[in-house]
Amino acid sequence: MVFDKELFSIVTLSLEVSLLAIALATLIGVPLGVCLGRCRFPLKSIVVSAANTLMGLPPVVVGLVLYLILSRRGALGFLSLLYTPAAMVLAQWLLALPIVIALSHSAVAAVDPVIAQAARALGASPFQISMAVVREARYALSSAVIAAFGRVTAEVGAVFMVGGNIAGHTRVMTTAIAMEVDKGGFELALSLGLVLITISLAINVALHLFQRKGAQPSG
Amino acid sequence: MPLTLSVSGVHKHYGGNHVLRGVTFEFGEAGTYVFMGPNGSGKSTLLRVAALLERQDEGSVGYHSGAETLKADIALIRRITLVLPKVGVFNSSAFENVAYGLRIRGVGRKEIKEKAEKALDSLGLLHKRNQRAALLSSGEQQRLGLARALAIEPEVLFLDEPTASVDEKNTRIIEDLLVSIRKEANRVVVIATHDKEQAAKQADRLLYLKDGRIVVP
Amino acid sequence: MVFNLPVRSMASPKCLLKLIGLAPLALLVLFAGLVLVTNFANFTDLAWAGGKEIVCASTTSTENSGLFAYLLPIFEGKTGITVKVVARGTGAAIELGKRGDADVVFVHARDAEMKAVEEGYFVNRRDVMYNDFVIVGPPGDPAKIKTAGSAIEAFERIASGGHTFVSRSDNSGTNIKELDIWKKAGLDAKGRKWYLEAGQGMEKTQRVADEKRAYTLSDRSTWLATKDKDRLDLAILFEGDPILFNQYGVMAVNPGKNPNARYTEAMQFINWLVAKEGQEAIGAFKDAHGNRLFIPNARLDAR
Repeated sequence: MVFDKELFSIVTLSLEVSLLAIALATLIGVPLGVCLGRCRFPLKSIVVSAANTLMGLPPVVVGLVLYLILSRRGALGFLSLLYTPAAMVLAQWLLALPIVIALSHSAVAAVDPVIAQAARALGASPFQISMAVVREARYALSSAVIAAFGRVTAEVGAVFMVGGNIAGHTRVMTTAIAMEVDKGGFELALSLGLVLITISLAINVALHLFQRKGAQPSG
Repeated sequence: MPLTLSVSGVHKHYGGNHVLRGVTFEFGEAGTYVFMGPNGSGKSTLLRVAALLERQDEGSVGYHSGAETLKADIALIRRITLVLPKVGVFNSSAFENVAYGLRIRGVGRKEIKEKAEKALDSLGLLHKRNQRAALLSSGEQQRLGLARALAIEPEVLFLDEPTASVDEKNTRIIEDLLVSIRKEANRVVVIATHDKEQAAKQADRLLYLKDGRIVVP
Repeated sequence: MVFNLPVRSMASPKCLLKLIGLAPLALLVLFAGLVLVTNFANFTDLAWAGGKEIVCASTTSTENSGLFAYLLPIFEGKTGITVKVVARGTGAAIELGKRGDADVVFVHARDAEMKAVEEGYFVNRRDVMYNDFVIVGPPGDPAKIKTAGSAIEAFERIASGGHTFVSRSDNSGTNIKELDIWKKAGLDAKGRKWYLEAGQGMEKTQRVADEKRAYTLSDRSTWLATKDKDRLDLAILFEGDPILFNQYGVMAVNPGKNPNARYTEAMQFINWLVAKEGQEAIGAFKDAHGNRLFIPNARLDAR
């Protein structure tokens, strides 16, 4: 194991980028998913199945498209975002968003309709009813966010393309591992791999806990 | 002024089912009113429509305070409540369940604690206030549903099959409470039940519902 | 069936949050906000925050040699310009420059570089340094290339004996050089049974050659840096032919074609590399095993 400054900065950057992407995806995806679960509007089923399809979006395609857009020749080239952590945040956000939306939707849709009826009977406004349903789905919603976090931290293709794996700037755990293996730096690669496994293990334990807590015993 | 309720000529359809076929009644003073009738007679639907949780297809549902007819807005809805046969407890503690109705009304923390604990106590649930509501027995959940409704001190309280799927001990607790509410005589209580004994025991006035109409037995 | 009612009384935001019970998610958002506020300058392009930086497209082998990690801090300390190195294959690196996604291109494929300069994508190309290619293979040298008179002859012997040869096949500078030699030998190796296309970087290709008891073309710096570490049972069997000369060049993206390119800073970098200080730094650079990997050879005339 190597625990040096380089490893530390790579791990820190990875976490910062992924947490930021997930936070933004949560901020937008959870309300959207809740809306999908609560509201009725035309073409709703199409939106839902679009979110479900986009959940499996191939990261390299996201990376490629984002690269072309952020490239100095691209539509958003003037922002100079290519090869910055911000570009990686954007890529991970794009990957996380459909997951958060689709899983939030099913989390809210899975709540027993009697909850909304009870809240309404107790005098809740339509907004408060939605909040009661969201509260009921809180563990499933947290699971949705954690699942998305798990996916983006393990992702390599998209962040490599738009981040560039620049030492000290945009080198994150996954791209560093890929590179270190390429040049035979197995020691650092293994250390990073262990950190990554630890994180994904923690994620799975958290997921399990949330799912167990969220499971309502009948009665 | 106490709240009074008048329902006239109410019809309700579900798909092709004509569930309510012109129901008319008036509850003019505090007391316990019981709707008796077999399953499928339209009791639940009538209660939901009367409690303003669903809109009727035809006819009118009106609440009055003295001579004034009140607008069916959220302020009015918050003066009445309905306890569903399947309570729908929230996935939180028993206390939080009972506090919910008060919280959404913006009641202060101290008052919430006072009122919620009083409601829990009246149904013998105070010692379970920190327990997760979902883990309570079905009888306790039914009591919790009633405590949740009482905490908000409704002027009109609708109870849909309050003791269905509840064991004897819990039935007694619930019925005793209903009796004491009736003695206080300060609110309208409307109960739907298919239990003849319960109906006879609780009712100030008994109405029979059959095939969506009020009938003379 | 939804019974819409006017919302008259709304609970306070604090109460709402409690109602939702999503405290962990709120914490997450709070943390992310903190990261964003404290790290905004680092997360977006430093140029926004007033810092000067350029993107240098280079090759994986150059970066993996450790040269940039050695050179760039010296340059940054002197000029305050941060050089961000994006390492790709030679072809991809030049393409990045053509698209304007890099400001400087630092590769080792002279013909391809000259072509891109002629096409107008780059200006001010300079030779910087060189190392050379070597042919490595099993120490027993079954194809007897040790006694070959030229690299072309060595390739001919490998082909005629049907000895396994591993090609990088990744459009890298090394790969371009290899294909050039096959072409000069008048041989079409692609598709032959003994010709393996690895599609990998230099070090992995060497490992494949080691596993397959095969020949391959490598650059001396990678070879020196990795032969002990990877415990390669291979040896240098041919070297010294001028055709194996591996010239590294640097060139600036033409601001006439890509107005967004940071030409001024790019030229500062190029001028530093070819001037005395940069040249001496390149000459002083040694790998972890104490091998000198590059020989500086910049001349002052621009190409």
